Amino acid sequence: MLTPHKMDSVVITGPNSVMEHVIKALHNMKVLHIVEHSDKELADIGSPLKSANKLSEILVNVRALIAALGIKKEDKTFKLKKGLLEIESTTKKLSEEVRMSQEELKKTEELIARNHSVGEELDTLKNINLPLEVFSSYKSLTCFAGYVRDENTAASIKVELSLITSRFMMFQSPIKKGHFIALFIDSKSKDSANHVLSKGGFSPVNFMNISNLKGSASGNMEKIEKEIAKLQSKSEEITRRMHIIANDFGGFLIMAEEFLSEQLEKAEAPLKFASTKSSFLIKGWVPSDELTESIEKLSKAAKNRIFVNFEPAKKHDKVPVKLKNPTPVRQFEFFLDLYSYPSYMELDPTLFIFLTFPIFFGIMLGDVGYGIVTLLLFWILKRKMPKASNFFNILMLASVSSIIFGLIFGEFFGFEFMHPIVERSAENKMFMPLAIAIGIVHVNIGLIVGFINEMKSHGFKHAFFAKASWFVLEIGAVLAALSIFKIISLHWSTGVAVILLSLIMLFIGEGIKGPIESLSIFTNILSYARLMAIGLSSVILAVIINESAGKMMHTGGVFIVLGIVILVLGHIINIMLGLLGSFLHSLRLHYVEFFSKFFHGGADKYRPFGVRQ
Amino acid sequence: MAVEMSTGLIALASGIAIGASAIAAALAEKEIGVAAIGAMAEKEELFGKGLILTVIPETIVIFGLVVAILILNLASG
Repeated sequence: MLTPHKMDSVVITGPNSVMEHVIKALHNMKVLHIVEHSDKELADIGSPLKSANKLSEILVNVRALIAALGIKKEDKTFKLKKGLLEIESTTKKLSEEVRMSQEELKKTEELIARNHSVGEELDTLKNINLPLEVFSSYKSLTCFAGYVRDENTAASIKVELSLITSRFMMFQSPIKKGHFIALFIDSKSKDSANHVLSKGGFSPVNFMNISNLKGSASGNMEKIEKEIAKLQSKSEEITRRMHIIANDFGGFLIMAEEFLSEQLEKAEAPLKFASTKSSFLIKGWVPSDELTESIEKLSKAAKNRIFVNFEPAKKHDKVPVKLKNPTPVRQFEFFLDLYSYPSYMELDPTLFIFLTFPIFFGIMLGDVGYGIVTLLLFWILKRKMPKASNFFNILMLASVSSIIFGLIFGEFFGFEFMHPIVERSAENKMFMPLAIAIGIVHVNIGLIVGFINEMKSHGFKHAFFAKASWFVLEIGAVLAALSIFKIISLHWSTGVAVILLSLIMLFIGEGIKGPIESLSIFTNILSYARLMAIGLSSVILAVIINESAGKMMHTGGVFIVLGIVILVLGHIINIMLGLLGSFLHSLRLHYVEFFSKFFHGGADKYRPFGVRQ
Repeated sequence: MAVEMSTGLIALASGIAIGASAIAAALAEKEIGVAAIGAMAEKEELFGKGLILTVIPETIVIFGLVVAILILNLASG
């Protein structure tokens, strides 16, 4: 439980003629964690199998189709019958069909957009009774078309223009954005007209989309609307066609993608091998208890033409780690996935997290009501998202723990429903030392684990100076404190001497970093005061919510409803805050305060060839 | 409810202890949070580490709270 699976390093060599059989067998057995070959001087990396090119080409097509048709990856009921040939021909046919549909759709949508802008321009002109062709260019006439702010501005412009010349015509109509005017004026007066217009805040409109249209605006408008409706039904038709393809071939494409990825993984496996002209070499790791059986199977698959060398992991090997935990504890490996995997020689801390994480969580969110609500919430979420079931199992266990601690604290949604064994809200004088005491125990467990780890990897002497020195430091600090407060009759210098001794030991064990960081152990322990603090803030918030809602309800009338709203909303918010705080802080107590006493980590997770991630 | 001046000062002192440490923690968390989000944008797997790193300065408030409680105990005892 505390140590990962034993691993053996394996080297497989053989002639290229059996490589494909070996890859196939390895892929089926799913036991070998392949170490990629990188030492280019000894031998080159292998080249992919011949089929790789073709496979990846089809795979790209299949993935493009999945993306284009918006197929979700849930449908996995389809059965592939004829393998690669079927996939290739069907994919080719589908790609062509989908590509054409997409192009058609794009063209149609472009046309719709263009017709819409024509429609907008026609809309501006529809109340002015002029044929569209009058807006073309003239020799002796200049045409201004655009907006002014309102009717009055248009009228004053007209008055000013009549002072300049009588040779002009002005049409106008109110529209959404303001007031539209179309002015035809003698070209000779163009500049002065321009001046008058810009003074009136005129902004011109460009009718570029309708310059080749003739007839009345409203007539054209009808035509355009009909055209748009026709195009829209066409685009809907194309989309429907694509949906039908997606429905008919969704399962096929998903399964094809899976099949091809698997084949491609096999075809590209030689990239991880070392190879010469006529032979190959695979390095990797296999769990020791599966070793003999795997080698037998492999030799059989390669017709005894390969040579397999194996030996147990040595001290400085970079071994991939496969953790070994019983089912309830295994859920908590999730926290190591988030952080880092322990190296092969280290103790696996999952068991410790399993024991203490729910306890810390419960102490912080100890409330029977909140515990029941979160337990239900995570149960529902687990059923909705089975992929994250590990995570929700952890949270459900934590919720149960907060129900248990809720009973100890006697709290139900902030109300004291029974006489508490420990009362959090009033007795922080007692509760804080309790939290710190938990800290002392937890940190010291960490130091003991650290001692064992160091002993395993660097021997007793190093472990003694690097880890046991912390115990000496703690004893020294306790002695000094007790004698200063005259609880024991010792001179304070005894404690200080012990502290000095521990600092020297730390210096020997960890270098200058040790004494400098010596204070960290006390801040680490004090940090466990958060067990009280987070809980306290959660309780006090709950009590405040209850009190203010209670006052409202006593007032009567509408306030009863308001009181209920405050009660429900307040507790929802408090539960959310409490969940986030309790989860993060108990996790942090493990990662920062606990792990820093022993954990090195950095190992690769054991990922056997053939298991898809 | 008449409160003695000294009690008021004690209450004020404990208020400052937690308030100032909360501001300090907020400033520190802001910086880390920004960096964590930046790192996550590059590499999504860093979510777990980013989350933990972001709450690390929260210890400052905890210390502030401990000090505030000690000060309040001074008043009652």
